Amino acid sequence: MWDEQFEQILRPFLPFLPPQEELTPGTELKDLGLDSLGTVQLLGTLEETYQVHFRDSALTMDTFRTAGVLWETVESMLQRTAG
Amino acid sequence: MAYDTALVFPGMGPVPFAEVGRFMVANPIARELVAVADEALGYSLVDAFRLAEGDYSEAAQVAFFVNCLACAHWAREHLGVEPDVVAGPSFGEKAALAYTGALELPDAVLLTAGIARCLEEYFAEEHRDVVTLSFVRAPAEGLDAILAELDEAGEWHEISCRIDDGFYMVSLSERRVEWMQERLRAIGSLPLYTMRPPMHASAFRPLRDKAEREVVSRYTFSDPKLPVVADQDGRLLHTGEELRTMLLDGFDHPMDWPSVTTALEDAGVRRLCVAGPDTLFGRVPRTTRTFDVVAAQPRLAMTPRRPTRAA
Repeated sequence: MWDEQFEQILRPFLPFLPPQEELTPGTELKDLGLDSLGTVQLLGTLEETYQVHFRDSALTMDTFRTAGVLWETVESMLQRTAG
Repeated sequence: MAYDTALVFPGMGPVPFAEVGRFMVANPIARELVAVADEALGYSLVDAFRLAEGDYSEAAQVAFFVNCLACAHWAREHLGVEPDVVAGPSFGEKAALAYTGALELPDAVLLTAGIARCLEEYFAEEHRDVVTLSFVRAPAEGLDAILAELDEAGEWHEISCRIDDGFYMVSLSERRVEWMQERLRAIGSLPLYTMRPPMHASAFRPLRDKAEREVVSRYTFSDPKLPVVADQDGRLLHTGEELRTMLLDGFDHPMDWPSVTTALEDAGVRRLCVAGPDTLFGRVPRTTRTFDVVAAQPRLAMTPRRPTRAA
């Protein structure tokens, strides 16, 4: 599961997710209000916060389909950086 | 002369009926404009939009146009937005024509519907494999190299829109899209989506000619009540003839949002109201870092407002 910071970053980009409602790994982020430009802004925020750089296969809209997939991508980049 | 407030009519993106249908029938300003559109068109816009297939049907285009205008009038009544200057990137040109009085509303409705039909007819026969691909975060050098590769391969392509630093829309053959997306990712760019019909490319000169012959030539363009910024190069336009040319240039010249924001900034604009269901122009960094942005969206117009308490 993701760290607290990840969810704090993600939630403001999901206008249709009420604050008290749980964010589940499999929910489509598009259904929660994440649109194209939100995706672009979210990408920049994640890169800045985690000091990672999305490249190649990570740079698809599929990466931003669900919170679970997005966190997996961030986590794998963090592991590569740590290694 | 210094301007303070700009009104921007956004380019068109997909807007499902479910998102704006209630606004069109329940908002008094929208309802009034819809009634004018119904009379001009000879059919119910709301019914046609509800039943229409595809994101860019004739009804969807006229509905987008009407909703943008309704939002502008709503912003004037409820948010005190009195513009000094108007801009309409891409599809937004048509609402700019109506708002500034260059065309009477029924004529602008018929022009919008006529151009929509023109596009459908033209792209059913011509450039059937061409789409417009949008992407962000493309460094200029990396993008130039990719476009040079397309040139070398003899593949037609054109930049159709410049939106912001590193944010472009390029028209190209659909079979090259996957290759292009892969190359973009390799330079750190994020491909967003493809659109059809494509727009704003010199290859579409025959479409411009068809639209002029079959639609635009039917109407007389008056001088606008407010200056309009050309979305191709940021020029300030003051005559009906200039606006007519801008509309026709929209078919075969690229749209350039940075030139519009620069022109508005140079003219002294501080506040920019985007009227309509916008997901782009009022949100890109170039806009938000330069202006106080007021997003006059149908959703905002439908949100109950608390009465202002007297001081």
